[in-house]
Amino acid sequence: MAGGAGNNEKCGKKGESLVCMVSRDILPILPNRIRELLTELPGEIFNQIEEIRLRQGQPLLLGLTKNDTMVTALGQPTSVPEFGYTVTEQDVMRTVQLVSSSSVYAFEEEIKNGFITIRGGHRVGISGKTIVEKGRVKTIKYITGLNVRVAREVIGSADRVMPFMIDPVFKEVQHTLVISPPRCGKTTLLRDIIRQLSTGIPKLDFKGCSVGVVDERSEIAGCFKGLPQKDVGIRTDVLDGCPKAEGMMMLIRAMGPQVVATDEIGRVEDAAALEEALNAGIKVLTTAHGADRDEISQRPVFKYIIEQGVFERLVILGRSRGVGTIEDILDFQSGKSLMR
Amino acid sequence: MLKLIGAGMTLAACGSIGVTWARVYEKRPQQLVAIEGALQLLETEILYGATPLPEAMAQVAAKCDPEMAGLFRNTALELRKMAGITAGEAWEAAVRDFFPGTALNKQDLQILKRFGAPLGASDKEDQAKHIELTKSQLKLAAQQAESQCRKHALVYKYLGFLGGLLLVLILY
Repeated sequence: MAGGAGNNEKCGKKGESLVCMVSRDILPILPNRIRELLTELPGEIFNQIEEIRLRQGQPLLLGLTKNDTMVTALGQPTSVPEFGYTVTEQDVMRTVQLVSSSSVYAFEEEIKNGFITIRGGHRVGISGKTIVEKGRVKTIKYITGLNVRVAREVIGSADRVMPFMIDPVFKEVQHTLVISPPRCGKTTLLRDIIRQLSTGIPKLDFKGCSVGVVDERSEIAGCFKGLPQKDVGIRTDVLDGCPKAEGMMMLIRAMGPQVVATDEIGRVEDAAALEEALNAGIKVLTTAHGADRDEISQRPVFKYIIEQGVFERLVILGRSRGVGTIEDILDFQSGKSLMR
Repeated sequence: MLKLIGAGMTLAACGSIGVTWARVYEKRPQQLVAIEGALQLLETEILYGATPLPEAMAQVAAKCDPEMAGLFRNTALELRKMAGITAGEAWEAAVRDFFPGTALNKQDLQILKRFGAPLGASDKEDQAKHIELTKSQLKLAAQQAESQCRKHALVYKYLGFLGGLLLVLILY
């Protein structure tokens, strides 16, 4: 079965299949030759695509849920590099043009940051020869590598977390930190938590509150031209592409959020901004790389935050039962598990 | 009497052929200047608005000389289809479609075609340089076309009438 567009009746509706999403958002930014290869793929492979990697002179590589695969010139999966379709300079150049709707000049800022967000909130990572001016990256001149990452939206992935995040009596949101190793669904979970807090959770008798999101890397809301492409709830304001520390202050000053959410805290300024939010009586929701409580408490930034006794909940993600497995939810201060 | 009407018609026909030829010469500089002006608009869109090309092209089509708007409108339409083609290819297709209806010559066609290749594929500075270059080429072509027009337009007009007169004299 071919995985192309038009053969699925559910396209365009909420909860549409991944096939629809990839066909509508991703295929149009790829050169025709690669489009054809992908549409020839068997449906079960097409359905698993998480990443499409184009590296000049190397085989076209698809990152799937569990492993990766190359694609032959006839559109069949293969694990032998020699059989795989080799990405040409033309392919990469053409993709860059299509991603930027033929307007590389309009994406100078994005290229500096190393990625472009496309319609649908998916991200295209860029690598190549950087041009540095005054110690900062000015642009990437010879673009030779691209990574198209399919942004998944898993509505309901936070269902199991929500009861622990909201105080059952006072209906107050708890300061929460989500940690996980890379690629375990941290951002997906964070997005769903934001959506639920913002829209409200009838099951928990939670009315919903205004949420400010600082989306430095355009991953949470996947904004395209400033408009969130993912469902982040009805009471959510997003500052897209904004540095975390600065963004948090801007939101606090101007948008009056009850919860501030941001991804991947790590720098010292971030901690200072968090403190500012806390002083303003705002609840904080954030994520960090890490496997468990001990590991992150050794990092200087968190050491400080933990000493301050800021966070109330710690959600630990892993992939023991697939991507996005909620391994544990702890009471941050005591370190006791709340799930068992 | 009939002969006289026939002679008059022959004269009018030949005269109008001459005028038509002359008009091609008159039109060419005008059209070149119109395209140059449109490129100026495009440059502004790119440099100051950082407007993506599909929108920028549509903007230019709306603002520029209506006679040349088709070129930019077609490019915008091609790009919006997201059919996997680059801006350069969309431009070239638009030029191919548009060219036969214009007074431009082969040399002008080359300028327009060359303009397409790097379109949208680099940063602002680069795009601006590139547009400037094409504009100066168009300006030069327009000056040449202007002087040719002065030389040839009148000649063709006379040639038409005199040719008609000759035909009438021979046939009379």
